[in-house]
Amino acid sequence: MVQAEKQRSTIKIYFDILTVTEEEGEAKTTRIIQKANLPHDRLMKHVAELQKRGLLSEYEDGGSRYYRVTSKGLEFVREVRRAQSFLSAFGVAI
Amino acid sequence: MVEPYLVPNSLLNIVSGAVALGVSYYAFRYRRVTGSGFLRYLSVGFMLLGVGLLAQASLYLFAAFNLARVTDRIALIYSATALYLVLQSAAYLIIAAGYTVRVQKGMPMDRAEALAPVVAVGPVMPLLFRTLILDTGELVILVLVSFIAFQGAMAYSEQRNRFSLIVLLAFALIALSHLGELAGSILTSGFLYVIGGTANLAGFVLLLVFVIWSGRVGSS
Repeated sequence: MVQAEKQRSTIKIYFDILTVTEEEGEAKTTRIIQKANLPHDRLMKHVAELQKRGLLSEYEDGGSRYYRVTSKGLEFVREVRRAQSFLSAFGVAI
Repeated sequence: MVEPYLVPNSLLNIVSGAVALGVSYYAFRYRRVTGSGFLRYLSVGFMLLGVGLLAQASLYLFAAFNLARVTDRIALIYSATALYLVLQSAAYLIIAAGYTVRVQKGMPMDRAEALAPVVAVGPVMPLLFRTLILDTGELVILVLVSFIAFQGAMAYSEQRNRFSLIVLLAFALIALSHLGELAGSILTSGFLYVIGGTANLAGFVLLLVFVIWSGRVGSS
């Protein structure tokens, strides 16, 4: 389980949403809420921003809404992982 | 005599300067993604460090191969050393300020306040040509790098990962290098000066290893 939201930066929340979705391959809203530890309204706000930035895509299947990480989103996740490693050496979290 | 060691020491500093600029680039790149304030300090600090090392090495090499009057060469060597000390003091002061802001997130140090000692160096520039002042400058750098190495030790005690250990060892070696250079200046030993340069290079090589290694994390 990821850390509580009030301690997380926006970038960390984006990273958590994308990581959860990437791990699942394609994820439903309820799954992301559960694994990224976010309330529904906040999640939808962040998801809208991620879609606007082209990091997350959405599609509907059988009445359910699914999310998938785009190639740009995957590159973002990799870059944040590199930044996390870099910053951890100085005792700083993102 | 320090002069015979100018060329090898300059070559070591060119490599160290290039690594410092590399660290600055990665700090800048990761800052764009994360928006981390600490990375801004790190990026600016290492940029100044890289520029300082390259400027010093270039001027030393120019002095070493310049067959003009001896007095001109001495003036050039003093100027290069003064430039190096001012830029390095500013660089390490900014990196140390970054650590201070990291530690005291609730009350970040004012940027102007953090740079005040560097600005104060400006009016006394002519005095920097005296050996005593140069040694004092080296001592200031030694204190600043020791503080950064101490912060590195704190970070390692918290994180306990290989990256924080590499950064700790790198700054410890850089601090050792300044101790060697200070001792070399006081004892007029070119050998200690080169030992200092080698320790400095070893520190920067460790930083290079850290940058490459941490950069591979996201790729796996």
